Parts: sequence; C-alpha cells; structure tokens
Amino acid sequence: MEQKLRQEAKTLLEQNKVDRIIGFEPGSLKFTATPLITGDKNDTERLIINPFIVNNLADFLTGIEGRVGIVAKGCDSRSIVSLIQDNKVARENVVILAVPCPGLIDLAKIERLVGKNRDELDDITRDGDKIIVTVDGKKKEFSLSQALFDHCLACELPTPQEYDILLGEPRPPAPELQTSGQNITKLKETLPTERWEFWKNEFSRCIRCYACRNACPACFCQRCFVEETEPQWVMPVPRWQDNLIFQIVRNIHVAGRCTDCGECERVCPVNIPLRSLTREMYNMVDELFSFKSGMDKEALPLMAHYEQEEAEDLFR
Amino acid sequence: MTQQSDWKPKLLGFLCRWCSYAGADLAGTSRKKYPANIRVIKVPCSGRVDSLFIIKALRLGFDGVLVSGCHPGDCHYLTGNYRARRRIAITKKFLEYLGVEPERLQASWVSASEGGKFAEVVTEVTEGVKEVGPNRLFSERKSNGTEAKTGS
Repeated sequence: MEQKLRQEAKTLLEQNKVDRIIGFEPGSLKFTATPLITGDKNDTERLIINPFIVNNLADFLTGIEGRVGIVAKGCDSRSIVSLIQDNKVARENVVILAVPCPGLIDLAKIERLVGKNRDELDDITRDGDKIIVTVDGKKKEFSLSQALFDHCLACELPTPQEYDILLGEPRPPAPELQTSGQNITKLKETLPTERWEFWKNEFSRCIRCYACRNACPACFCQRCFVEETEPQWVMPVPRWQDNLIFQIVRNIHVAGRCTDCGECERVCPVNIPLRSLTREMYNMVDELFSFKSGMDKEALPLMAHYEQEEAEDLFR
Repeated sequence: MTQQSDWKPKLLGFLCRWCSYAGADLAGTSRKKYPANIRVIKVPCSGRVDSLFIIKALRLGFDGVLVSGCHPGDCHYLTGNYRARRRIAITKKFLEYLGVEPERLQASWVSASEGGKFAEVVTEVTEGVKEVGPNRLFSERKSNGTEAKTGS
C-alpha cells in the first residue's frame, strides 16, 4: 500500500495534476506519524501508511491553495466530503488517495495496558485481529478493542466512499458498531442535574487551549465567536462556565458537519470525553433529520435545507 | 429544588419582527393578560437566533428563553423559520442531553393575528419555568452553602 501511495503521489506531482501532496511521514517520536505537506516529488519517498497515522488531514485542506492530493482514511474522506458540501473545497481541486483503514492504534491505551512509556516499548505490530507489543524482548498480545481508538471501534466507513485512487482492498465496517456509545447510554440514564454536574466537572479541567477547535476539519470559521470582543460572548479566562459554553456552541455550530472523527477527543490535553458530545450530536442529527454527515457530496448541508414538516413536536 | 417564595422567573423572548412581535403587540392592544416575566428582544427573523444567544441568556441568569417566529410557510424571508426550526430543534435536544431542563428553552409559532396565542404561550412557558425553579446552571456554589451569581 505504501509503495503504491509513493508511486501515485510521485506521478501526480510529475504530471502536474496536483500542486501539493498532503500525507504522513515518520514522526520524530517513536510510534508517531506527522503530517507531510509537500510539492516536491522527491519527498514522496518519505510518505508512509501505518496504524499510527492518526491526524485527520482534511483539516489542512482549507488552508492550502491550488490542487491538492490528499491521503485519506475513511473518516478523513467524510470530512472532505463535508467540506465539499459546504463549498469550502472544490471537488475538482482534490485528488483523494484512499486508504482502506483497519483502525488506528491508541498509544495512550497501549501505555496504560503495558504500564510503560512509549519510549520503553520495542515494537508494536498488528497481526490480524491481534496487536502485539514487544517489551524487553517479550511479546504481549492484545485484542483490537483493547488497543484501538474508541472512534475506530465504532467506525462506519473504514474505506472512503469518495475517492480518486484506491490504495488497497476495501474493508468492512467495524464489528463493534453496536456497542459504541456506551458512555452516552450511561449518561442518559442519570438525572439532568447529575449530567450537568458531570459536564461541569469535566470542563473544570479545560484549559481552553482550543486544540479541539484547531484540529477539527469542520471548524473553519475565519473568526471564532470566542474571540469576538463586541459583544464578548465568553470570557477568555478558562472558567468552567465559559469552557462549557464554548464547547456546547462549537458542537451546535458544527452539527451536520461533524462526522464524529474523534480528533477533538484525541488532541484534548486534559482528556475530556468530547466524543460523548460529538457522537450524541451525530446521532441526533440523523434521528431528527435523517442526515449523516459527510456521506453524500451532492447533498445540501444540514443547515442549508429543510423539509416542510419536521421537528414540529418541539414547537408550540 | 428549594424555591424562595419571592422568586419570580425571568424570561427572555426572541420575537420575530414580522409575526410574533406584532402578535405580542396585539396581545397588548386587545388587553390580553399574561405574566409580566418576559423581556422581549426584537429580531429580524427567528432564523437570526443563534444557539449562542440562547446559551448566553442562560449564562446571564435568565430562567427561561422563548424563541418565537412566523408559522412555517409564512416567513417574511420565505425560509428563515425553517432554518430556525432545525437549529432550535438541535439546540433544544442537545441542551437536554447535557442536563438543562427542557422547560428552559421553548419555541413557538405566533402570527401577527394571534395575540391570544401569544398570551397563552407566555403563560404556559412561565408556568413551566416556575415548576423547574430558578436557573442555577452556571452559578458557583461556595463552600459555605451560599451562592454567588457569576453572570458577566
């Protein structure tokens, strides 16, 4: 798959079909990959595909001019489709290099399982449905549900639906689809005051670094409401009230664009379970308006169309 | 929830300039009685109401928010209220999931000729908010048990 990607990327640049390639190269730390954005065909040799290509590269699309070739996993491709729906990206300016994704390995989970820092691990490989971690010359086996990201375990679309070049065999949806959202179900069983208290506690940790917003491909406003000063909607200091308002409004603003790709939760430095918000919003939009974000590039954006009769039970 | 006997709910209404605001006017001119707990902001269209406005109102300590516009199909701008409907539906459901009592965000369609309906809606919304009590969502509980208002 990696060889094919390098070949295709090189050809695209050589034939001048794209101005830039967005992909991954090995990161400076062990078991990491870092985004690579390049217009030089020699750089394509550095491109990689492995279970650590965690970033959603669609986030970079809105910041790059010209035609772009982009490496996309299933989740990334949905974010790209969502950007096409919103006219943020023209379909003809993107060449999607589709990676059928078997799921990404969550290093934080591995570290917790093994009880060691990533630097102390010798190797992490995948063999079918097993993740094998080598520590001090000994091999330890873990199941996929132990080692993969939660959002990968609930992945609906491992292979991009929208692509130009497919780099491998298509893969079926994750088998654990049904069990996703256990946290949400548990939360829903509690009283409203308990739920509010839960989120209040979670957001007391928030330092308002805006990593969630910056990593989010759906958050593409030139100017975010949190930075407005007249009126000042939220205070810039990280108090839980304002942190919570920021996240609630962010979630509502990206409703219909958010594909529950899990980037916000992954990048959160204080581990706020943000997917319990995004997943619920994703399901709610589907339930209320039969709209699945990032599935159909021809569909109008959620907030740009309507049906004559819908959601009337919520109005007097 | 403990309620002080002298507590009166404070409501904020976002009323569309073409229908509901005129409806509220009609309620006044035809001397309909409704609770005086509502403060009204005139908006050009119910589609102008961002979820941010609603949440900010709750943050500032309003006990409930009412968004009201033209009936579906009657929007002065043709589709503004359809868009508002999607946005408000999402906001309402999402806030409910987070733990905000559903009574605190209400929405209605009131036309310029429905002064009576406006009075009814405000009465019902006020009653609903009275039932769930004062909005303490964003208040800080201090260790000695007293509360400090934190509205900015």
